[in-house]
Amino acid sequence: MSAVLSLREVGVTYGRGATAFQALHGISLDIEPGEMTLMLGPSGSGKTSLLQVMGCLLRASRGSVRLFGQDLHAGLTAEALAALRLQHIGFVFQHYNLFPTLKAWENVAVALDIKALPRAQQHAQALALLDRLGLADRAGHYPSELSGGQKQRVAIARAMAGAPRVLLADEPTAALDGKTGQGVAATLHELAHRDGVAVVVVSHDPRVEPFGDRVLHLEDGRLVDDRRPPRSSA
Amino acid sequence: MNAAGRGLGGTSLLAWRNLSHDRARFVVTLVGVLFAVLLMGVELGLLLGFARTTSGMVDHTQADLWITPAGTTNVDIAGRLDERRRFEALAVPGVAAVDALMLQFAFWRKPDGGTESVSMIGYNLASGQGRPWNLVQGRVEDLQQDDAVIIDTLYAAKLGVAALGQTVEINNQRARVVGFTEGIRTFTQSPYVFTTHRNAQKFTFLRPDQTTYLLVRLVPGADVDTVRDALQARLGRVDVWRSADFARAAQRYWLVTTGAGSALLLAALLGLVVGIVIVGQTLYATTVDRLPEYATLRAMGAPNRYLYAVILKQAAISAVLGFAGGMLLVGLVVLGGEGSTVAVAMPAGLVGVLALLTLFMCMLGALISIRRITRIDPTSVFQ
Ligand SMILES: Nc1ncnc2c1ncn2[C@@H]1O[C@H](COP(=O)(O)OP(=O)(O)OP(=O)(O)O)[C@@H](O)[C@H]1O
Ligand SMILES: [Mg+2]
Repeated sequence: MSAVLSLREVGVTYGRGATAFQALHGISLDIEPGEMTLMLGPSGSGKTSLLQVMGCLLRASRGSVRLFGQDLHAGLTAEALAALRLQHIGFVFQHYNLFPTLKAWENVAVALDIKALPRAQQHAQALALLDRLGLADRAGHYPSELSGGQKQRVAIARAMAGAPRVLLADEPTAALDGKTGQGVAATLHELAHRDGVAVVVVSHDPRVEPFGDRVLHLEDGRLVDDRRPPRSSA
Repeated sequence: MNAAGRGLGGTSLLAWRNLSHDRARFVVTLVGVLFAVLLMGVELGLLLGFARTTSGMVDHTQADLWITPAGTTNVDIAGRLDERRRFEALAVPGVAAVDALMLQFAFWRKPDGGTESVSMIGYNLASGQGRPWNLVQGRVEDLQQDDAVIIDTLYAAKLGVAALGQTVEINNQRARVVGFTEGIRTFTQSPYVFTTHRNAQKFTFLRPDQTTYLLVRLVPGADVDTVRDALQARLGRVDVWRSADFARAAQRYWLVTTGAGSALLLAALLGLVVGIVIVGQTLYATTVDRLPEYATLRAMGAPNRYLYAVILKQAAISAVLGFAGGMLLVGLVVLGGEGSTVAVAMPAGLVGVLALLTLFMCMLGALISIRRITRIDPTSVFQ
């Protein structure tokens, strides 16, 4: 298996001068396709920062990042980074970030539209994605008419639009109750195993832990642990 | 609407939903555009209407060149020319015909007393140069009677005339209304009174050899400027104009000297500015409300132009709907102006100009929103 994402000695510093703060120190790791990687660590340990570096949203201050072999060097423009995100990466957020004025299927269709899928195919593909996530009967509803778990599954459908090879999720279950959170975690796990997507999930939700094929531990911006628990569920 | 939504691209869908989601603000935007269109439309229409009025006499003759007393600035105010200079003009090569046209102020006494100032227009019945247009009652042939005049229905009440055949006094001489035109306005507020050249001389006490203008028609194929220069050289102390130049001079004279032109342009500009401010303001408020959504789009990898398209389409939707409503009102004003002495002109060209101005206004209003979007931070979606 060749790595989807390759980080070497990555450091991130926020601000400069006296107020500069180094949030990540010398992170080296490879993210593999077809597995769900969990990122754990106390608050402020740099989990979101690392996820943003992986997602081409934040430029590493030091070290190198490669996405499918392409070097995400400092010279890349914001437009170039956006294009890379569009092509390779799907995001799932803690607060869903759905477009409130669009129906469920329209939320997914917009993602397809940005990826320049022909207009005529957007509706059918959006419905197919929602159907896969068990939301076929909710396609015509607005986000305000959906439960938290349904919203997050619409968000996952939107993130999967255009079949990106990387799915990055920041605390996707934090706003959900026990069973619902577990369901969302299972869905992400299934995407990794059935579709071969590289899934990275930031979480300190113990209900998510059993679904991780690999668990990373961050502390004070350093990667302190990286293991593959044998109990990995299938 | 599933069916409609299915056909819309993402940016159009987002633009429309962003606007229609906040009805009250959308209504404010549309009312703003509507009033800007109304203001610009009426002021520019008035300007064009006034311009047409000030040059109406020139535009409604078929002359190629006008010979005017030296120093003439507009068609409504002029001195006198010796009518015999006609023959000098006729001798210039390229000249096919020369007709005298008289225009002099006179006093009009209404049947029930009271006096108004009028512009007597005396023209040559045989050539028809300077004859009244849009005649709706009576016949020009009736002007052959030596007290006959034709006036416009727009000024009939001002001149105390209710029906054909009524008699009045012009400079204390009996005159009879034998016809009515409709829609011949004057900018000077001294209505045109049409009659024959001979009658006009009599009414205004001009000598039989005096006139105001000489209207020149050229032989086919003659070069206008060459003949103009030859006439100028030959006749000396007169001005010789191409008709279009004389028309433009009259427009410039009245619209500039009276300040009417700049007042109207200023009001139109005000409409434009008000429109830009209102559209800019409401569009920006909508954009700020939806910043998290723009950040989400950006995080998802949307290029900047995708975000701009959403905002520009909001501006375009506001422009189209506001323009439609505004033009409806402008149309009502134009209809209302038809029966009055002040005309609002609205040719297709001006409608086109207004459409472009409206689009320009809304796009400019969108600019501050676009500036805001350019600075958006996609990592804000993680907070
Ligand atoms: N934009 C920023 N500017 C300055 N400092 C920042 C910025 N973003 C994060 N930080 C700092 O970097 C450190 C790591 O933040 P990060 O958000 O990556 O932590 P986290 O592990 O995701 O925390 P949490 O579990 O609370 O979400 C924190 O100390 C934070 O204050
Ligand atoms: Mg975080």
